[in-house]
Amino acid sequence: MNQIPEHLRIVEEVFSKYRRFVYVGKKLLRWDAVSKVTGRAPIFTADFVSRYRDALYVYSIRAKYAHAIIKKLDVSEVSQYPGVVKVITAKDIPGINDVGYVVPDQPLIVDRKVRYIGDVLALVVARDYYIAREAAERVHVEYEKLPVITNPLDVIDLKTLDEKKHVLIHEERGSDVVARYRIRRGDVERGFREADVIVENEYRTQFQEHAYIEPEAAIAVPESDGGVTVILTTQCPFEARKAIARVLGLPQGLVRVIAPLMGGGFGGKEDVGNVIGAKAALAAYLTGQPTTIIYTREESFISHSKRHPMIARYRHGAKKDGTLVAVEAKIILDTGAYASLGPFVAWRATVHSVGPYRVPNAKVDTVAVYTNNVYAGAFRGFGNPQVHFAVERQMDLLAEELGMDPVDLRFKNILREGDETVHGQLLSKDLGVGLEEALRRAVNLSNWYEKRRKYSLHSKGLVRKGIGAAVLWHGNSIGVEAADYSSVSLIVNSDGTITFRTGLTDFGQGALWGLILIASEILGVPPSYFIIERADTSAVPDSGPTVASRTTVMGGAATVNAAYKLRQRLNEVASHILGCSPSDVEIRAPDVFCRSNPLRRISWRDVIEEAHWLGIPLQEFGYYRAPSASWDEDTGQGSPYITYTFGAVIAEVTIDVETGEVTVDRIYTVYDVGKVINKEGVEHQAECGAIQGLGYALMEELIHDAEGRVLNANLSTYYIPTVADTPEIIYDWVESGYKQGPFGAKGLGEPSLVGIAAAIANAVSHALKAEINELPITPEKVYLTLKKLSKLRNDVRM
Amino acid sequence: MYDEYPSVKIRLRVDGKHYEVYVKPYERLVDVLRYKLGIVSVKEGCGRGECGSCVVLMNGELVPSCLILAIRANGSEITTVAGLAPEGKIHAVQKALLDVHAIQCGFCIPGVALAIKWLLDKNPNPSDEEIKEVLSGHYCRCGSYLRFIKAVKTASKYIREGRIYFDIKEVIS
Repeated sequence: MNQIPEHLRIVEEVFSKYRRFVYVGKKLLRWDAVSKVTGRAPIFTADFVSRYRDALYVYSIRAKYAHAIIKKLDVSEVSQYPGVVKVITAKDIPGINDVGYVVPDQPLIVDRKVRYIGDVLALVVARDYYIAREAAERVHVEYEKLPVITNPLDVIDLKTLDEKKHVLIHEERGSDVVARYRIRRGDVERGFREADVIVENEYRTQFQEHAYIEPEAAIAVPESDGGVTVILTTQCPFEARKAIARVLGLPQGLVRVIAPLMGGGFGGKEDVGNVIGAKAALAAYLTGQPTTIIYTREESFISHSKRHPMIARYRHGAKKDGTLVAVEAKIILDTGAYASLGPFVAWRATVHSVGPYRVPNAKVDTVAVYTNNVYAGAFRGFGNPQVHFAVERQMDLLAEELGMDPVDLRFKNILREGDETVHGQLLSKDLGVGLEEALRRAVNLSNWYEKRRKYSLHSKGLVRKGIGAAVLWHGNSIGVEAADYSSVSLIVNSDGTITFRTGLTDFGQGALWGLILIASEILGVPPSYFIIERADTSAVPDSGPTVASRTTVMGGAATVNAAYKLRQRLNEVASHILGCSPSDVEIRAPDVFCRSNPLRRISWRDVIEEAHWLGIPLQEFGYYRAPSASWDEDTGQGSPYITYTFGAVIAEVTIDVETGEVTVDRIYTVYDVGKVINKEGVEHQAECGAIQGLGYALMEELIHDAEGRVLNANLSTYYIPTVADTPEIIYDWVESGYKQGPFGAKGLGEPSLVGIAAAIANAVSHALKAEINELPITPEKVYLTLKKLSKLRNDVRM
Repeated sequence: MYDEYPSVKIRLRVDGKHYEVYVKPYERLVDVLRYKLGIVSVKEGCGRGECGSCVVLMNGELVPSCLILAIRANGSEITTVAGLAPEGKIHAVQKALLDVHAIQCGFCIPGVALAIKWLLDKNPNPSDEEIKEVLSGHYCRCGSYLRFIKAVKTASKYIREGRIYFDIKEVIS
């Protein structure tokens, strides 16, 4: 099962022996750039709405309270409002009223109780948005209010991790604990007894909002076969199809989901597509007319999942020389009103909970719990930025206690080739383990030692400077969460162009471009020959979800598979005309020739035509199944991920002592991506991850009041970084080579965010000589921290 | 009720084309452009004038079309990103954005391109501070900000050299 597939092995051999890369690793302009900059063609879901002039608008009537039983729901006045075609409540749903992603806990339309302020009581289907919204005001609901829980510590005890007595949010499940995971390795008590230094602390992180600039949208069209076609903002068209078919009570084959390009996703469009798609499809199915939904920014804020807030207690023990001997952690994640991807997020957080270090003794317990907050789910990093913030702060505290440089402490403990992870997974050469090299390069790029020393001396005055480091790891693809496979199709058309199809989607990261570069390289055909079709469940088999930084690794391996098989046949056809052996055929479209005699030369079109006359098919389906992962539920031992992307981040900050404002001056990142496939893409990821991580570190926080209402559900009160906040970003790559990856590649989408907040927090802590245990590090927090410190100093002086 | 509002005929010139369209007094310019006229080169990100995605040049001024009532735009000349260059060509600003690989998801790009055009019309050689001031009204969640700054400088150079339009074919190959 874990052997390297033949096609990957042969392709690697060919390229290491005779070929130099022509497309892979090059910075080429992505396929969609021109259409996006000229703006004439419809690109995003909502751009297609004007093609359905008579589409009805579907408006969601949402809850007034965050936790209440619905005693009575009266929509008669809404139905009578002029221009309203239909009002849909839970009892109108023909199939199963559930859109839960991992756990069946989330009704599309609530029937019995509301669990957060985004819950939907009814759908108003009307001639347009204005009418629907106005009509929705006429709803009459009698609620019986229940206590609202916004603090996860009201559900679970941080010390014992036992569930507390409280009014259950999901009483139908008998508990508000969604998931528990653990790691048990070695003997943690003995580890701490042997430790010379122990540091212990509590860490807190906040809700983060994806704030993709394109709000969610859906268009649903009833079809003559009784099914529905849905054009939808979704990262995962097959997951959306499953959810829509379930709600409508239809076979999956009668639901067609088309996923246009998206204006950002970052994980947020993993499961919200199921919800908005099901709403539009349900309304189209029940009215027999095309329908549309475009969320307002406020709706987008309260109705898609967020990054899980974390409360964690960490205890680290080390020897005098810095060797880590024990780590103990208790981690609580607030998954809000519904599980969404919470259980998987909690699992990923657990897997990475001790950081990329050799830890002989570890005891980790993670719990994800329900509250009445907006639900939390997938967000770039998936539990990992939270635990890295805690672990990397702990490492800096340990360094301080030990009197060591923080980078030296990391060099002492980081995972290297041949080490075992905390799960007992052997990091063999085949996995590609370039963390040490990444850290070394980041240290050199940033001139770490000199700056660290210089800024340490600079502890007075109104402007302080600091520099902080973090290392990170991020398991590639989905591990034991589900079956891990992907697929693509390549179809050579008779004019020589090549149609590329996959169920993987592009939400802006340009990952599909990486797959094209791989196909181009193997086929010998320039990327401009390819036509990338929109993901469409009726045109491709399920390619697995577009999540977990898996497109390049998984989709890439499937692309290698398809292109390799196609190339074999093309070589045979060409050899037929050229008279040299198939292995001697070189394709450099538009030319095809014999490597041993380049004068024997035909054109790409000649080969296509010959194949046509010979009846040789020029289409291929590529499939790749990842090596199996394993995980023991009791001990957390096994091989949870196929491989890990490693990285090192160093951040430099300047702090205005009078205002508490933190300015990030520079961020240095070095990621071990296995192999750079798409140069433009990795640069984009490095910049985007750094900036989103900066927002997470310093300014972004979705705030709920005690009643569970969101206080900042728009872009003027929820701050995201602008051009004015953007630091200088310096990046470099380590190419350690992952044997199962396409040309050795690993994923980068999520890892590029994982270590940023940790490094910035360490830099701020360095500048202030104060502990930073909570994100975001707002000016208020910095100011109050400084004030507390100066008070302490004054007290000492007196 | 909404049916009681009269529809009013307005005239717009968008990207060089004349349109006559009936609108309700409460309808926003962005909706009329996108959903009545099918001009999708204008995007909407927030509906509150906060994100910068929906800006258009209205009689030469940079305005968020989500905050303008369509009837207020009656008789005006509107430019979207699709109207920056004649058919088959792209404008120096668009070329510059491609040159520096600034396009990711692309949702903010129509707004950003128009903001850069507007800035360079006013000031052909802006400083970093001026660039940041104008572009800080445009959110880009993919974080292409550093590339936008570079694009302004590249476009400024093109324009000062008198190179305003480029063949799309040249750019693609």
